[in-house]
Amino acid sequence: MTKYAVETSDLCRDFKVRQVKGESKKSTVHALENANIQIKEGELFGLLGPNGAGKTTLIKILCTLLLPSSGTAKVMGHDVNTHCQDIRQKINMVSGGETSGYGLLTVRENLWMFSQFYGMPSKLAKRRIDNMLEIMDLSDKKDAKVRTLSTGQRQKANMIRGFMTDPDLIFLDEPTLGLDVNASRLIRDFIHKWMKDKPSRTVLLTTHYMVEAEELCDRVAIIDNGKVLACDTPHNLKKLISKESALKLQIKQIADVKPFESIPGVRNFSFKHDPTTGTTDLKFILEDEAIVADIISEIPKCGSKIISVEKTEPTLEDVFVALVGRGLHGDE
Amino acid sequence: MKFEEEYEKPSWMVMNMRTAFGRAYPRIIGVNREPSWVFFDTFFPILAIAAYIYVYTALQAPPQYLGYVVIGGAMTAYWMNVLWGMAAQLYWEKEMGNLELYMVAPISRMAIMAGMAIGGMFTSTVRAVTTILAGVFIFGITLTLEEPLMFIGIFIFTMTALYGMGMMFASLYMMWGREAWHMSNLLTEPIYLVSGFYFPVKGFQFLMGDPGFWLAVGASIIPVTLGLDGMRQCFFGPGDGFLPLWVELVCLIILTVIFLILARFSLSYMENLAKKEGRLTLKWQ
Amino acid sequence: MAMSMNRRVFKWSTWLGWQLESNWTDPFPFIIYSIAKPIAGSLILVVMYSIIAGIGGQTDIGLFHYMYVSNAFFMFVAQVLFGITWVIHDDREHYRTLKYLYISPSNFFVYMMGRTISKLLVTTLAVIVTMAFGVFFLGVPLDILGVNWLLFIVVMFIGLACVMSFGLALAGLSFLTAKHSMGMNEGVAGIFYMFCGVIFPISILPAWGISLAKVLPVTYWLELIRRTLDLGVGIDTALAGISTVDSLWILSISTIVFAIISVGIFKLGDYVARSRGLIDMTTAY
Repeated sequence: MTKYAVETSDLCRDFKVRQVKGESKKSTVHALENANIQIKEGELFGLLGPNGAGKTTLIKILCTLLLPSSGTAKVMGHDVNTHCQDIRQKINMVSGGETSGYGLLTVRENLWMFSQFYGMPSKLAKRRIDNMLEIMDLSDKKDAKVRTLSTGQRQKANMIRGFMTDPDLIFLDEPTLGLDVNASRLIRDFIHKWMKDKPSRTVLLTTHYMVEAEELCDRVAIIDNGKVLACDTPHNLKKLISKESALKLQIKQIADVKPFESIPGVRNFSFKHDPTTGTTDLKFILEDEAIVADIISEIPKCGSKIISVEKTEPTLEDVFVALVGRGLHGDE
Repeated sequence: MKFEEEYEKPSWMVMNMRTAFGRAYPRIIGVNREPSWVFFDTFFPILAIAAYIYVYTALQAPPQYLGYVVIGGAMTAYWMNVLWGMAAQLYWEKEMGNLELYMVAPISRMAIMAGMAIGGMFTSTVRAVTTILAGVFIFGITLTLEEPLMFIGIFIFTMTALYGMGMMFASLYMMWGREAWHMSNLLTEPIYLVSGFYFPVKGFQFLMGDPGFWLAVGASIIPVTLGLDGMRQCFFGPGDGFLPLWVELVCLIILTVIFLILARFSLSYMENLAKKEGRLTLKWQ
Repeated sequence: MAMSMNRRVFKWSTWLGWQLESNWTDPFPFIIYSIAKPIAGSLILVVMYSIIAGIGGQTDIGLFHYMYVSNAFFMFVAQVLFGITWVIHDDREHYRTLKYLYISPSNFFVYMMGRTISKLLVTTLAVIVTMAFGVFFLGVPLDILGVNWLLFIVVMFIGLACVMSFGLALAGLSFLTAKHSMGMNEGVAGIFYMFCGVIFPISILPAWGISLAKVLPVTYWLELIRRTLDLGVGIDTALAGISTVDSLWILSISTIVFAIISVGIFKLGDYVARSRGLIDMTTAY
């Protein structure tokens, strides 16, 4: 029988918000609507969604920080409503872009303090911290005060805080947010290795970086407006739109891209102007390859010229765009 | 990665003791890292106490009243620690993002509070001792401990009840932010008044008769009221005492039990309510 | 251009300060909150005086009026000093906006003034309420028609300018101090409380204390307020030989001197904070 680290059933969470100060009437925001997610033990599960999609709300419910409005959620077999303490013994969380602890303490002291909240014997905690500082390439900063650390160093320390208690399930909420390429790579490698070394460990990862999700995750759920739109392996998700064609075009910059949207058979369309090169990148997901001809013939009508044409394999981002209807960053 | 050494999960008691020590650590080490506090938090508060001593001097009050001010001033340090170092501290923890990390840890919330209290008590004690030393050496106040055992009992139960009450206040911060902060602010001067920080609480009875007595009885819900009165009686005799010493001690023991139970209940209730309303980790309230 | 920007910053920061002061609750609880604190603070003195008068100590009612009126107006000093330091710490560590304000082309000093003005408005309400309470319930004999209002306004204007300049110096120091050091503003307010004849006449201080009191502008400010309101006069304040006009001169000149020193301290604090990278530090523990 499959053991689930996380199991939600028709999980809903509503927030009542007062739109304007002084206004007594409150409106309801549905942050999560009937979310059904099952994460198997040992799985590295990704949660993809634009800002405000409900990812953090879901993580907060699973971490016992927020109660659901309706539906059920079980973490490591325990109900989040009734068995918080049992869950807390087995989990930890790391959020990107946030600091934890106290700026006046050194990195080592801060980590030691958090280890005490999990009842770790002091000597063992210190050994483990030193070991992890080395792995995270942060040994030279162990005696530096936390407030003097750079963003990347802070996030590495934050990762150590989350992982040093060796949780069965860890929630990583955008762990590489704002980090440079090297730091992100180090963190991704660490997660990968951590999973590999003990197959029962489970990770729930939210990220804005599609490549990260594609590289790390066994399965991915795409979530928007509080609803789970799709949930499968990256490979299967890509197959969802594999019958469709993805087409990338670079053309001489044009002002109006509307004609492309209305071409019959275009399932999804995004564009990006590059004023420095005077070009516009167009990206299409087409119901049928035959439509390529229609698109090509539209370009001269818009007063532009083709610079390059590329037929691409669908990426996770294409799946995302196809399902959500817009890019992750909302600028496309 | 594999951790070479696994560790056995400690008992609930050990876990929470480690937690309390862990949370107390930054408080204790923090004051070493910011030595400015020694000056600000010990020398300056003496000035306010000195002002009240001079008021009594100007009013030609009996000498024990100067002693009452000194003891009140010393206890102010603990009251401030309860209000700002423990209850209102949760507001800052929430804003800094630490509260959610405390909340996902498998520990009692009271252990975290106890850690803050123990750490804060270190600075409060330094402030309290400095105030007393200033009273003795600068203002020549004679303090003779006439009831040492009673004093120890009263001090211990005042502190436990007071910090229990502080934990209860802290629970409000799970739900609210600035609202609770202003409540702490509101509990400064009015509590100085009704708890008799600068005069014996029996004074209410003296000035207002029966209503004054009942006002003092009402104020006795705040442990520091009876604690202060009891400690003053231990030093200066029962002349201006509100209730007999043993009655005050019994009341403080009862208050200790009540506040610790209420603290546990209110922390869990408010945490649950905040989780329901989605305000447990809501910043910039 | 710079003028219009400063006007805008001043207006906006005053509004922001007001929002932060008041928008945590509905107007009614806010009014109660604004009134309860100062009234309680004043009642401490009332009870102290009444007890001692009742047991045969000093019964000069003039001394009570002296204490009451000075204590009411001292709220401006305490609140402005507290408010300014709070702005730095709150913006730096809570809202994390200090660095953005700091690098903006607007005048930081104007921003600070705007934030302080809102505090001043709330304090004005508290002072009016306290005085009204004294007049209607405690028999403080304020003769509104007999007050030299022009002089009163001039005295208030210079006095508040003086207090705000002290606040500016504290703001400079607050760049360098940890958030916990609320003892600093408490302490500086404590120096004034102790040495400026707020709740007792400076004549009972030791000789060195009287000398110190005579160089602090707040001493003259409070003395001038008492004289213009004709309350608490006749008490030996050690300032009897100094006429009202001379006191006004001394207040004006010392305010200018302290303002210059304060600007210097602010700039030094600002420079040191920048050189040590403390503008956006977080220090809570």
